[in-house]
Formats: sequence, structure tokens, C-alpha cells
Amino acid sequence: MLIVDVLLAGFTLGGMYALIAMGLTLQYGVARIMNLSYGEVLVMSAFGTWFAVTRLDWNPVAVLLASLPLGYLASWLIYRVLMMPLVRRSGAGPALEVDSILATFGLLFLLQGVLLLAFGGNYYSYSYLSQPVDILGSQVAANRLVVLGFAAAIGLGLYLLLTRSRLGTAVRAVAVAPRFAPLVGIDVWRLSAIAFGIGGALVAGGGTLLSMFLPFSATMGVVFAMKALVVVIMGGVGNLLGCLVAGLMLGFAETLVARFVDPGLTLAVNFALFLLVLLLRPAGLFGRVAR
Amino acid sequence: MLEIAGLSVRYGKHLALDDVALKVGRGEIVVMLGANGAGKSSLLKAVGGMVKREPGASIRLAGTELAGLPAHRIVGAGLALVPEGRGVFGELTVRENLALGAFPHRGRAAEADNFERVQNLFPRLRERLDQAVRTMSGGEQQMVAVGRALMSAPAILLLDEPSLGLSPLMCKELFQALARIRDDGTGVLLVEQNARQSLAIGDRGYLLEGGRVVGSGSAAALGADPAVRAAYLGVAHGEAA
Repeated sequence: MLIVDVLLAGFTLGGMYALIAMGLTLQYGVARIMNLSYGEVLVMSAFGTWFAVTRLDWNPVAVLLASLPLGYLASWLIYRVLMMPLVRRSGAGPALEVDSILATFGLLFLLQGVLLLAFGGNYYSYSYLSQPVDILGSQVAANRLVVLGFAAAIGLGLYLLLTRSRLGTAVRAVAVAPRFAPLVGIDVWRLSAIAFGIGGALVAGGGTLLSMFLPFSATMGVVFAMKALVVVIMGGVGNLLGCLVAGLMLGFAETLVARFVDPGLTLAVNFALFLLVLLLRPAGLFGRVAR
Repeated sequence: MLEIAGLSVRYGKHLALDDVALKVGRGEIVVMLGANGAGKSSLLKAVGGMVKREPGASIRLAGTELAGLPAHRIVGAGLALVPEGRGVFGELTVRENLALGAFPHRGRAAEADNFERVQNLFPRLRERLDQAVRTMSGGEQQMVAVGRALMSAPAILLLDEPSLGLSPLMCKELFQALARIRDDGTGVLLVEQNARQSLAIGDRGYLLEGGRVVGSGSAAALGADPAVRAAYLGVAHGEAA
């Protein structure tokens, strides 16, 4: 059935976009770091998964369980070691945004260079649960269902962490009013490192999930970072619900256009949608204009 | 309880606070009177670690030196600041703001009790626990700010112009709550432009002028002093109260 096809494809793609964008919005909205090397972390995780699956014979789901904490640890370290000097130097000023863009731009090329050296420029993939499953008369690869399920579970877990735990509430407090956070004993730098780390866990998990159903190459990180940024801005910076809605919108727009018009137009539709949202709501779908 | 000595703050060349010394005891309300620009806000910000202190300052709470601590450690040591403008998390709910008040470890042990206490102190908050603070009136936001500070079980509460922009009714309710907080054993250092009302509930007071402490005494004595009455209570010399 066509409609089931479109729904499943749209939810899988959109869910992936939403998941990746949630990590970026944590890094930008809480830690105030515009991380341009974000997509490279995604691709590194995808290659790491490929290596573990094809060379070490791991199950991709087991790799996912490892890539979440590894992504957290690596990103936490990036914040503490590479970003901390910039954070200290900027005080709480706007210089941090420019400095972090330049620093992570450098990191982007460093990571991409390492990947190109190790894997070259070709597309990689492995086969995992690629046999079709029949859902309401539609044939769909089982791996996409697994990906969709895990993306939803990780997104839900993040939502619960941020809204139901004291640590998560503190992360949101830093996002909305970093100046006031010390009044309740919150160490803003410590929380920023944690939020940056959680963002890294999400994108590393996203990389592993992506590798389960899409081929990937060393240079495609930029595309994902760009799409994640589009989703973040469309949804409203720092807003998780915005990420979910904007991510799904983008996923469905791409699926519909690729299906009914022309696959070559997906990127154009992405940005047309982006422009339309920004024209109507400049602060994003769920964003509030800063006062 | 709280003993401050040699506290100075400098903004560039301007000396905003000059060698200030003061004490706040357990269960007393100490009022800091002063004109605009006298350094009242700088004093509270300096104590709370929100602005840089000049070297040589001593801020001792129950014998523990706090002058070296960063802002986020001060509240955990027992000094809770409610800044001018309240400093609440507007996008978060009342419940979340209060829960964050207990973020420091000292607030965790009696969190449930303190949560109940804050709601008894400000019954208005009980009905609005799940409302975003940004959508509330100024007086209600002030209650959230004071309640959040109380959730950290502070030994000393520092309040910067809590009545600013509040209706007379809200103002009265707030000052009654402050008196009850004092009666529960918490020390309160209150910076206020509303000198009449703050001296009415206060135990002692200091006069701050040009960044220096120029006078002190019991609230009753300050309230009766003709010079204080002229400067802060808007009563002319010789006029009957």
C-alpha cells in the first residue's frame, strides 16, 4: 500500500533527522557551542559500527549500546579539552559563538581527513536485517523498523531525562537562563559539558542507526550537520519538541518529493520549507523571540 | 552567623563598595538602607559571588570562610540570594523552579518538608505548581524566587529589592512571609527602597552611602532618627510621624 510505504519511510527518515537535531540543539542551546564537526561525529560512529559489524562480528544493536556512552565520553572530552579554553576566554559573551564555529570548523576537517585516510572516499554499507517484512500489504526492510523503534526510544528517553529528573531540569534551566543558574547552585560549565556529551551520545547513536539502513561515506557528514542545523533552526533553538516536528516535516517532505516528483529535488524542497518557516516564524516553529 | 568584613567592589575606576563590614544573626532581619547608587545591590551581588570582590574581603558564615568560593558554591554553603529582578527560570514551571532550589546538596535532605513549607508560606503557589513562571504576575514571581531560595534550606537569605514593582497588597503579603521566615530561624539581609515597611518588620539596620556604611542601629532607633526619616522615609525634619 502506497500510503503505508510513505508513512514508514517518512517516519524513519524524519525520526533520524529529529534524533540528530536533538543532539545539536542540546550542544547549541545549552552549551552554546555551534558544533560544525557534528556531522563528522555521526560519520565516525557509522564507520565504527561498520568496523565492529564486519570485522569483529558484532551485532549492530550491541554496537548501538556501546556507541551511546562512547559518543557521550568523546564529546564530553571535546568540550572539556578543546572548548573550555574558548569558554573561559569569552566569559559569557558572544565571542564564544564565533570562536566555537572556527574551532569546530577546524575539527571538521581534521576528523574528515582521518576518515578519508582510513576509508577513502567510497560508500560503505553492510547488510543487517535487510529481508522485507510485510506490513498492511507493504514491503518494508526490517532494519528500517528497528531503526525507527530505537530512534523513538532514544528520543523518548531524552525527553524523560530532561523533564523528569533534577539533572535534566537543571540542563533546561541553563538553556533558558544561564545567568541565573548559579543562584541555585548549578555549575554552568559542568552542566554544559554534560549537555554537550549527551548531544554527542545522540549523534553517535544516530550514526550507528544510520549505518543500519543507508550507505555512508567519509565526506557526507556535512550534509547531515547542515540538515540537523536546518531542523534546529526550524524548530526553534533549544526546543526538543521543535526538533521532533521539524525533523518529521523534513523527513516527510523529502519522502513525498522523492516518491512523487523527482528524487533530485529533495534538497531544494528542504530549503524551500526552511525558508517558508523562517518567513512565517523567524524564531522557528516553537521558538520565542529573545527579549 | 554571617560576618562580613573588608568587602570592596570596584567597577573599573569606580569604587562601588568601600570596606564594608556587617553582621546578620540567626533569626533576625537586617535592613540595608541607602539611596539609589549607594552600593546596596553591589553589596548583595558581592556576597553572593555574582560580581568580583576586591582582595582582602572576608565573608564568614558560622565560622566558614566563603570569600574564595565561586557563585554556584555559595548557595550550597547556606547563603541564598534573591537578586533584583528575581532571577527565576521563566520558561520552567513553579514546581520545576522550586525543585531546582533544592539542587544544592544541603536542600535535598528536607526537600519534601521545605516544599510543604514554601506552599504554606505562599498558598498562591500551591494552586499554580504546573504553571510557567513567566506567565505569572510580578508578585507571584517574587514568591517563586523567595520560595526557590528557601528550598536550599539557607542559613541566611539575601533579598535585593523584593517589593519592587509589587502592588501594595502583594507587598504586605511578602513582608509578612519574610517575618515568618525570620521566626523560623533564618537570618535575612534585606535591601529595600521601601524603608518604612522594611524597618517595621526589621530588627536592625545599616545605612549605606557612597559605598560605605555610615550608620547602624536597631530598626526602632533608625526609624526614629530624624536624619533617617528625612532621607529614607520622606518625612521632613520636625514633622510629626
